[in-house]
Amino acid sequence: MPSAFRTATGMTGLILLTLVMGAALFGPLIAPYDPQAFHPAARLQGPSAAHWLGTDQFGRDLLSRLLHGAPSTVFFGLGATFLGVGAGTIIGVIAGTAGGWIDSVIMRVLDGLLAVPELLFALLIVTFLGGGVTQAMLAVAIAFTPGMARIARSSVLSIRTREYVLAAIARGEAASYIVMREVLPNAIGPIIVEATIRVAFAIMIGATLGFLGLGAQPPSTEWGLMVAEARQFMFRNAWTVAVPGVAIAMAAMGFNLFGDALRDSLDPRRSH
Amino acid sequence: MTFGYLVRRLLAMILVLFVVTFAVFAITMILPGNAAIMILGEHGTDEAVAALERQLGLDRPWYVQYIDWVAGVLQGDFGQSLRLSLPVSEVVGAAFWNSAALGAAALIGVTLVAIPLGVLAALRRGTAADLGIGLFSYIGASMPEFVTATLLLLLLAGPATGYLPAGGFVPLSESVGGFAAHIVLPATTLGLILIAHISRQVRSEMSDVLGSDYIRAARLKGLSERRVIRRHALPNSLAPAVAVIALDVGYLLGGIIVVEEIFAWPGLGRLLIYALENRDLPVIQAVTLLLAAVYAISNLIADIVIAILDPRVRYA
Amino acid sequence: MMPIRHTGRTALLLGAALSLALPASAIAQEMGGTLKISHSTRIATLNVLSLSGPAEYPVIDMAYSGLTRIGPDSQPMPDLAESWEGSDDATEFTFFLREGVTFHDGTPATASDVVATYEAILDPDIPASALSVLDMIDSVEAVDDLTVKFTLATPYADFPTSTAHANARILSEEALAGDLTALDTVVNGTGPFKMESFDSANVTRLVRNDDYFMEGKPYLDAVEMHLFPDLAAETTNFLTGAVDVMLLVQQADYERIANSPGVEALRVPSGRYVNVVMRFDQPPFDDLKVREALAYAIDRQLLVDLVLEGLGRPAHDNILSPEFKYRIDTPERAYDPEKAKALLAEAGYPDGVQLDLVASNRPAIRAQVAIAIQQMAAPAGFDINVETMPHDTYLANVWRQGPFYMAYWGMQPTEDSTFNLLLTSNASYEDTGWNNAAFDALIETGRSTTVEAERAAAYAEAQELMLAELPYIIAFYEDVLTASRDYVEGYTINPINRYFYLENVWLDKE
Repeated sequence: MPSAFRTATGMTGLILLTLVMGAALFGPLIAPYDPQAFHPAARLQGPSAAHWLGTDQFGRDLLSRLLHGAPSTVFFGLGATFLGVGAGTIIGVIAGTAGGWIDSVIMRVLDGLLAVPELLFALLIVTFLGGGVTQAMLAVAIAFTPGMARIARSSVLSIRTREYVLAAIARGEAASYIVMREVLPNAIGPIIVEATIRVAFAIMIGATLGFLGLGAQPPSTEWGLMVAEARQFMFRNAWTVAVPGVAIAMAAMGFNLFGDALRDSLDPRRSH
Repeated sequence: MTFGYLVRRLLAMILVLFVVTFAVFAITMILPGNAAIMILGEHGTDEAVAALERQLGLDRPWYVQYIDWVAGVLQGDFGQSLRLSLPVSEVVGAAFWNSAALGAAALIGVTLVAIPLGVLAALRRGTAADLGIGLFSYIGASMPEFVTATLLLLLLAGPATGYLPAGGFVPLSESVGGFAAHIVLPATTLGLILIAHISRQVRSEMSDVLGSDYIRAARLKGLSERRVIRRHALPNSLAPAVAVIALDVGYLLGGIIVVEEIFAWPGLGRLLIYALENRDLPVIQAVTLLLAAVYAISNLIADIVIAILDPRVRYA
Repeated sequence: MMPIRHTGRTALLLGAALSLALPASAIAQEMGGTLKISHSTRIATLNVLSLSGPAEYPVIDMAYSGLTRIGPDSQPMPDLAESWEGSDDATEFTFFLREGVTFHDGTPATASDVVATYEAILDPDIPASALSVLDMIDSVEAVDDLTVKFTLATPYADFPTSTAHANARILSEEALAGDLTALDTVVNGTGPFKMESFDSANVTRLVRNDDYFMEGKPYLDAVEMHLFPDLAAETTNFLTGAVDVMLLVQQADYERIANSPGVEALRVPSGRYVNVVMRFDQPPFDDLKVREALAYAIDRQLLVDLVLEGLGRPAHDNILSPEFKYRIDTPERAYDPEKAKALLAEAGYPDGVQLDLVASNRPAIRAQVAIAIQQMAAPAGFDINVETMPHDTYLANVWRQGPFYMAYWGMQPTEDSTFNLLLTSNASYEDTGWNNAAFDALIETGRSTTVEAERAAAYAEAQELMLAELPYIIAFYEDVLTASRDYVEGYTINPINRYFYLENVWLDKE
C-alpha cells in the first residue's frame, strides 16, 4: 500500500470508501426491509431492534431506504464524473494535441463556460432539461466538462514536448497512435486524481439537486431527496434528516480523502 | 500583466456572457411550458393562457424576443419580470445587495477563522490539534450546504433551543441587531465549506514556507520564533491564500443559491430559484449574467493578485 | 362539521360562524395593533383578475370588495352590494350597491365601476380567472348609480355565488381604462385595508382604511404579510412568537403547533381533495371494472391517517364533500384487495396490470398519495410505477393530457362550479374524456332552475351517475389548517380558503 494511504486520513478515506462502495454494490441485497413498505404502526420512530436507524413518516425503515439509496447516490456521482471527465478529456486532448486556431477557439469557449459557477450551471441545465435523475446526471457532467478539459489540455501540453513524444513524431507515427499510446497514458495521472475528488463534488451536487426537487424524484431513496422529504418531520424525529445527511457527508468525505491520498502518492512532493 | 491583456480579457468575458444568455434563451424557448402557464397554474384555461401570452409578448417568435431583450440590455434596460410585474433591475438590484451582504459576512467570518486555524495546524504539525483541524476541514468540505443548514437549524434554531431565528430577513435600516441575528446561520453555513478549503491551503503554504531556506536562515540569525513567524513566514504564506479566497467566490455563488432558499434570505439565489420555477426568463437572464460577471471579476482579481505577489507569473 | 379550535392541550368545539355572529357590542374589541401573518409562497402579483397564489388571496380579500362575498357559512353575503334579487327564471339579476362607498384614492365606487370590472372579466383579451364561472353573462348595465343589472344567456341560479368569486373584485373604472399591467403592483380597492408597501421578496404591508363601509371596522391598524419560503423556518418563527398568524399549517406540524403554549390552532373541514385522473378513452381505464378495481384497492382511512396525519375525512369518490347542500349520502367503499383482484380478472387482467402514475412534486401531497396508492393497490394486482416530476414539467406535459395522474383541487363554492370545473363535457378543466350527455343535462337542470326540489333531484341523480361511472377516485377531503397566537381574536378562514375576514380580527394583548 502506498505510504499516503497509511496516514490517519488516508486510512479513514479507505475505510469510508469501502463502506460506501459496499453499500452501493450490496446495499439493496442486505437491506432488512422493502424500502417502500409502509409500517403504519411504527411511524417516525427512533432506532430500535426492529428498525436500527428508525423510521420515517410512513413507517418506512430508514436503514433499508439508506441502503437502497446508496447506488442511486454513489453511482450518480461516479456516472456524472465519468461522463464529465470523459468529455472533458477528449476535448482537452484534442485542443492540446491540435494546437493552433482549434486550440484557441476551444479555449475561448471553455473560458466562457468556466465563467458560470458549476452549481449554477448544473441548476440551469437541469431546469431546462425538466428535472429527474438522468437529467441531473447529464447536467453535472456538462458542468464538469470545461474544467476537466482545461486540466486535460494542460496535462497534454506538458507532455507534448517530452522526448518520447518527440521521438514518436520523428518516427513518423500516426497522430492517433501518439495520442493513444504516448500522450494519454502519461497525462492520465492528474486527470484520475482530479476525477476522484470530483466524484465527491458530484455526489454533493446531485444530492443538492435532489433536495431542491430537480434531481431524483419520489419515491426514489436518493439521499438528498430523503433529507428534503424528512425536513417537515425533523423536529419530530431528528433521525429522519440526520441519517441521510450524515451518509451524504460520509460518501463525499470518503472520495475526498481517497483522492487526496491518491494525489499524494502520485506526487510525493505535495505530501506534508 | 499589461493593460492590453486586461482589456482583452474583459471583452472576451462580455462576449462569453452573451453567449451564455443566448443559450439560456434558446433552450427555454424550445421546451414546453412558459411563464403564462406557470402564472395561471391550475386556473389556466386555454383562453386565459393565450390572453396572458399575448399580454406578456410570449406569442412572438423566440428570436424576436431575444433581439428585443438584447436591444434593451444594450440600453441598460433589463426588461420587466414576467412573474413579479416589476422592472428586472429593481427586483435584481434589491436582491443583489442582500446577497452581497451575506457573501461578505461569510467571507469575513471565513478569513477570521480559517487563517488562524491553518497557521495553528502548520505550527503544530502532526499533533492532535493538526489532526483535529484536518478532520474538521474534511468534514466541512464534504457536507453540502443543505445538510449543514438543516443540521444547524435542528441544533440552534429548533423550538427546543431557539437561540437564533430559523430564517427570514430584517433590513439593516430597520434593526442592526435583527439583521445580524438573521445573518448568522446562513453565513455560517456558507462559511463552513470555505473554512475547510482555505485553512487547508494556509496550512500547506505555511508548511512549505516554514521548511524553506530563508526561514532556516532567519532562525540561525537568532531571531525569536515569534518574530520569524510574524515577520517572515506569515506574510509569505498568506498571499496565496488571498488568491484562493478570490477563487472561492465561485463556490460561494453556488452555495448562496441553496442557503438563501433554506433561510429565506431575499437575495439573488432565492430569486433565481423562484424565477426558474416560474420560467421568468428576464429575471433568470439577469441573475445568471450578474452571478457570472461577479465570478469572472473575482477570477480576474485573483489573477492580478497572484501576478503582483509572484513576479514570475507573466501574462502575454 | 364545525371548525375545531385547539387551544393548548384541550380541543374545543366552537363554531366560527357563531363567534362572528355575536353583535359587536357583546365583546369589547380593542382597536389598533399590527397583525403579522406568515406565509410560505410568494405574493407575486396583486392583479386581482388573474392571481392564484395562496398568499395573494388574503391580500386582495383585505384590499378589495366584490359585489358579494362568500361568508364563513359558505353562502353568498353582501359586500359592495347591500342586497340583490333574481328573476324567477334565473336569467336576470339586479344588485343594489351601498351608498357613499369610496375607493382608497377617494373616488366614489358606483355602478359604472362594477360594469367596467365585469366587462374586463368577460373580455377574451384579458386573462381573468373568474371568467369560467361568469361566462353565462350576456350583458351587464348600470341602471342608475347604485343599481347594476345582469342579463344571462342561460339561466343560472347560483349567480350571486359566482359574483363572490375571489377573482371577481370590483376595480375602478379609471384603473381599467389605464395600463392593465399597473394592476400587478397598484391597488385601489374598497376593502378594509389599503396597500402601504409591496415587497414580494419579503414583507407586504397594508394599513387600515378609515373610510371602510362597515362602521367601526377594521379593528387593526395594519396587517403585514411575512414570507418564509422554507416551511421548517416558518413553523419555528411562528412558535417563537415572531409572527401572530401562520396562514397555512402543514399536517406534519399541526399537532406540535396545537400543543404549544400560547397558540390556537384552527382546523376547518373542507372539500379540498386529491383526485386520481383516469382517462376514459384509453385502456385500461376505458373499462369501468378497472376503475372500480382501483377504487376498492385503496384504504381511505389509512390514507387520512398517514398522509393527512388524521386531519381530514375519508371520501368515497364523491367530488362533493358533506359541506355541500345537495350532497347525497355516499356509500362507503371498504378496502378490499380481493374484490379488486376479481374485478381486474373480470376486466381481462387476471395477472394484474402495469401502470405509470404521474404526480407533480409540488405540493408534496400529490406524490405522497401516489406512493401510498402504489403500496395499497399492489396486493390487488396493480403494479404501479410512480413517476414524480417538477411542477412546471407536469403542467406543461401531463396536466389535462396524461392518461393516469394525480390532480389536486381546492373546494369550490357551489355544486355547479364543482361539476363545471372538471366533469361536464365542456368543463373548464375537463380531463377524463368522460363526456356523458345525461350527466351534462342533469347539471344543466340544476343550474337553471330555482325550484329547490328540482335542483336537489337533479344534483342527486348526477351524483349517482358519477359514483356509478367513477370518473375520479377521490380518497379523502383535506381539512384547511391555520393557526394564530392566543391573543388574536376573531380570526377564522373559510373552507374554500379564499376569504379571511380580517376586518373582524383584533388583538387582545391585555
